[in-house]
Amino acid sequence: MSIIKLLTSSVGRKILMAITGLLLAFFMAFHLFGNLFLFVGEEAFNAYVNKLHQLGFLIRIAEFFLVLFVGSHAYSGILLWIKNRKAKKVVSSYSKENTPSAARSAAFTGSIVFVFLATHWSTFWYKFNFDLQGMSYYYVVTESSVGFGSPAVSIFYIIAIALLGYHLKHGIASAGQTLGIVGTKYESIYDNLAAIFWFWIPLGFISIPVWFGFLVRII
Amino acid sequence: MNVNLKIWRQGSDSDKGTLKAYRLENIDPNISFLEMLDILNIKLVKEKKDPVAFDHDCREGICGSCGFMINGRPHGPQKATTVCQLHMRAFNNEDDILLEPFRAESFPVIKDLSVDRKSFDRIISSGGYVSTNTGEAPEANSISIEKEYADEAFLSSACIGCGACVAACKNSSAMLFTSAKVSHLSLLPQGQKEGKDRVAKMVATMDEEGFGSCTNTGACSAECPKEIGQINIARLNQEYISSSLSGFLKKKDG
Repeated sequence: MSIIKLLTSSVGRKILMAITGLLLAFFMAFHLFGNLFLFVGEEAFNAYVNKLHQLGFLIRIAEFFLVLFVGSHAYSGILLWIKNRKAKKVVSSYSKENTPSAARSAAFTGSIVFVFLATHWSTFWYKFNFDLQGMSYYYVVTESSVGFGSPAVSIFYIIAIALLGYHLKHGIASAGQTLGIVGTKYESIYDNLAAIFWFWIPLGFISIPVWFGFLVRII
Repeated sequence: MNVNLKIWRQGSDSDKGTLKAYRLENIDPNISFLEMLDILNIKLVKEKKDPVAFDHDCREGICGSCGFMINGRPHGPQKATTVCQLHMRAFNNEDDILLEPFRAESFPVIKDLSVDRKSFDRIISSGGYVSTNTGEAPEANSISIEKEYADEAFLSSACIGCGACVAACKNSSAMLFTSAKVSHLSLLPQGQKEGKDRVAKMVATMDEEGFGSCTNTGACSAECPKEIGQINIARLNQEYISSSLSGFLKKKDG
C-alpha cells in the first residue's frame, strides 16, 4: 500500500487524526505545566516564559509542528465529516439512543475549540511575542483586557476548555480504537491515562481563569 | 392486540417515498413480527392493493435477509434479535409502530422496506476469501487452532451481513461488517496468507462503495442482532496499520 493510499483511505485519515490528536493532547499537558507557574507567582511565571523565549528557533519549530498537527487534524476531520454526511440518508424515526453525545458532537466541539485556538493565538500568543507594550507576561494573563482581566474572555475560555475536555473524552477513547490499542494488554493502562487527558488536564486549565478571573477578585 | 402501523412506501430508489398508515386488529401477541406483516399483506392483496415489500428468508435469525428500522432502530427494540425473531409481544396493545427501510447511500431502496445490499457482497468479494486446494476435504486435525482464537473467530463469524450496523451508524459506516469479516479470517491460520492484502482491499472497496467512516460511537455493536463487538474494529485497524507498514518495507517488483 502506498503512503498516499494509506493517508487518503477512511481508515488512514482516522489514523492520522488519532496520531495528531494524541500528540496535541501531550502538548496540552506540557502547556498546562507552564501555566501552573501562574500559581507559583509573578516572578516564577515571567521567568518561565523568558526561558522559553531563550530557546528561540526551537520554539518556532515546535510551533510549526503544532500548527501542522492542528491543521491536518482539522483537515482530515472535515473531509471525513463531509464523506459521512454524504453516506447517510435521513431516517425520520432515527434513534440516537445508542450513539453517545460526546461522539455525536465531536465535530461541533472540535469546531468551537478551533475558534478558541484562533482567538488564543491572536491574543495571548501575539501579545507575548510581539505586542507586550512593557507589560509583564503575568500581567497580560491575569489583568489585561485580552487576558482574565476581562470576564468575557474568562467565560469563553472556561466554556471552550470544557468543550475541549468533552471533545477529548470521545477523541482519546476513539484514538485507542483507531490505533488498535483496544483489545491488547495495554488497553487498561490507556483507559486510565485517558481520564487524565480529558478530565484532569482541562480541569487544570479551567482553574486558572476561575482563580485569576473571578475568585481572586472576590476574596 | 391492535397495532397502528406507519410504513414507508416507495416504488423504487428514484421515487419519492411516503409513510402510509395501516391498522391491524386482533393480532395474536405470540406471532412473529414478519407474520404480522404477512397478515397485513394478505389483507392488502384481498383489497387489491400493493403489498408491502420486505426481505426475509430463513426466519430463524441466521440468514441476514431480514431487517428494517422499527421506531428508528434496526431490527426493532429487542436486543440481539433480528426482525424475524421479534414477536408482537415485544409491543403493547395500541402501540404506534413506524417501519422504514435501512437508509444509506450505499443501500439503495428496491421497494418499500427492501434495500439493495450488494455493496456488502462487493466488499466480501474484494477480500473475504481464503486460498485453498480443491479436491477432497483435508484432514480436519492437520491444522491445530488455539481455542481462544477459534472462539474469537467464531464470534466474528456470527455476523450475518444484515446491514443493521450501517443503518444504526450516524455515518452509515460499514466498519463493523467489514471488520467482522477481516477478524474472522485473520484470526484463523487459513486466512493469514491473504491477511495483509485482504484488509487493504476490503477497506478500499468499503470506501469506494460510499460508506461513511467510523467515528467509534459504538451504535453498531449496540444494535447488532449478533452482538458483533467493537473489538473487531480495533482488530481491523491493527491489521490495517501492520498491512501498510509491511507495504512500505516490501520491495516493488513489477
